[in-house]
Amino acid sequence: MPFDAADSPAIVVEGLVKDYKKIRAVDGLDFAIPTGVIAGFLGPNGAGKTTTFRALLGLTRITEGRIEVLGHPVPTELQAVTKQVGAIVEEPGLLKSLSGRINLRVAADTLGFGHERIEEMLDFVGLSDHANRKVDEYSKGMRQRLALAAAMLGEPRLLLLDEPLDGLDPAGQRAFRSRLRDLADTGATVVVSSHDLADIEALADYVVVIDHGRLVAQGTLESLLDGGATTVVVSDPARAVAVLASSGISAVDNVGRLMVSEEDGSRIIQVLGQAGIYPSEVTPARSTLEAVFLGMTGTEER
Amino acid sequence: MSLLHAEYLKLSRRRFYPVMILILGVLTGLTALFLLVFGQIAPDLAGDVPVLEKPGAYTAGAQQMAGQTWFALILAVVLLGGELSTTAWATSLTRDARKTAHIGSRLTIFVLAAWAAMVLATAGWALIVLFVSPGDGTPSLADWLGMVWRLGLIQLAWVALGMGGIAMLRSVGPAIGAVIAFSFIEGILALWGPYENVSLTAASTGLFDIGVGGFMDTFIPGGDLGLAHSVTIIAGWTVLGIVLTWWGLQRRDA
Repeated sequence: MPFDAADSPAIVVEGLVKDYKKIRAVDGLDFAIPTGVIAGFLGPNGAGKTTTFRALLGLTRITEGRIEVLGHPVPTELQAVTKQVGAIVEEPGLLKSLSGRINLRVAADTLGFGHERIEEMLDFVGLSDHANRKVDEYSKGMRQRLALAAAMLGEPRLLLLDEPLDGLDPAGQRAFRSRLRDLADTGATVVVSSHDLADIEALADYVVVIDHGRLVAQGTLESLLDGGATTVVVSDPARAVAVLASSGISAVDNVGRLMVSEEDGSRIIQVLGQAGIYPSEVTPARSTLEAVFLGMTGTEER
Repeated sequence: MSLLHAEYLKLSRRRFYPVMILILGVLTGLTALFLLVFGQIAPDLAGDVPVLEKPGAYTAGAQQMAGQTWFALILAVVLLGGELSTTAWATSLTRDARKTAHIGSRLTIFVLAAWAAMVLATAGWALIVLFVSPGDGTPSLADWLGMVWRLGLIQLAWVALGMGGIAMLRSVGPAIGAVIAFSFIEGILALWGPYENVSLTAASTGLFDIGVGGFMDTFIPGGDLGLAHSVTIIAGWTVLGIVLTWWGLQRRDA
């Protein structure tokens, strides 16, 4: 695990509330993200992810609550925060009529840094050969990578990336993930918001799940995925499901393999055995993030 | 300085600014044709249109540029509006959270750009005067420098108002309509005596302390405003523009 619990958290949010006129976008959100992790910030569409990101960056005035980023209260010490944080919020804020290289020069100037790292960053995101083309001519993936390069120019200690993999093809996603992992390996904290669970499962060490503007769960990916399920193989899955249900244990038939929501294998064997069903296989199941997420949010689609 | 350089890069690498200068050049050429050439080549058709003579024709050129309010307004609206209507403005704030510094750097570069364009157009006008206008003499160096700073001061006020317009409305199309309409209405209101004393259009004329002569003076108010009065009016409108910009950007989330 790349993070140390003794480190002060990179982000602390307590009781965050954000109202847009009559709509409450974030409703008493509490979470903390340790330093040095790649954290997935998960939630269905409309859960409040982007609003929370914008609040972390001081782009939106919060209604209530307390935010601390890299030890600095936001928005009170926002200027100190922005110099240590790289961000992509919503669409990458690129100037499309300018080339990739000029966009990075503008970013470096706005950050107040020199241009020394521009070539290194172009190389890091694989855009050196396209640096003189106008961003208007870039594919979506290239724009995302350029935005990542711009976000990383100041050697940030924290990267906040809002849906960075959205719209990228699988190869682009893989390349992007690889670059984020490289970055995290240098000790930076990376927070990636997404509604795509596979993205987060492939990338994150730590996960924060929110829904309806509230915290649903947070913890390491391992702790969220290990939890309470067992795979059972029987000759008559349909009857086994009914027997287990009568004992208050839910199970789903997944093409002959039952996914049973009970951690204790011996209890499953006992219940099935009493009904004359003898499993040929009982093994602890590792949930998918999707299963955990859907269980927590109770939402298949929104 | 870095923020200023960022704004300079954004302006200098886009086609928008040269295109604006080209349009200003065409309009300046047409105005010169009307005021400097037309009366000489077709005096019967020109009627009451005066033929400007040297050295006043030189100063009249700078005064003409002072009336090109659309340039500063559209420049400010399009450049700042292009950022506000996308995530570019918010992204800038994630890199440097000082909103005042962002406003200041944009105001500075936009004013310098509008100013440079006006000086360039005035130089073009002067070149035409040199070759086609009757009369003798040229303004002194002090007079030329006086024209240059006056043009800069006027651009400052109109750029600030353009930024204020886009900051309040956030949408480029409606903001261009609003600021151009404001400029037009302000120019008409300047003909009304009481308002002339606070009119930006009148103050622009007052700065130069010159009328073009003949019936045209009827349509160019502000000739009687003193220099100090004109500067005060322009400073007041500049402050209003900056306050509107700040308020417009502050009252809503980035």
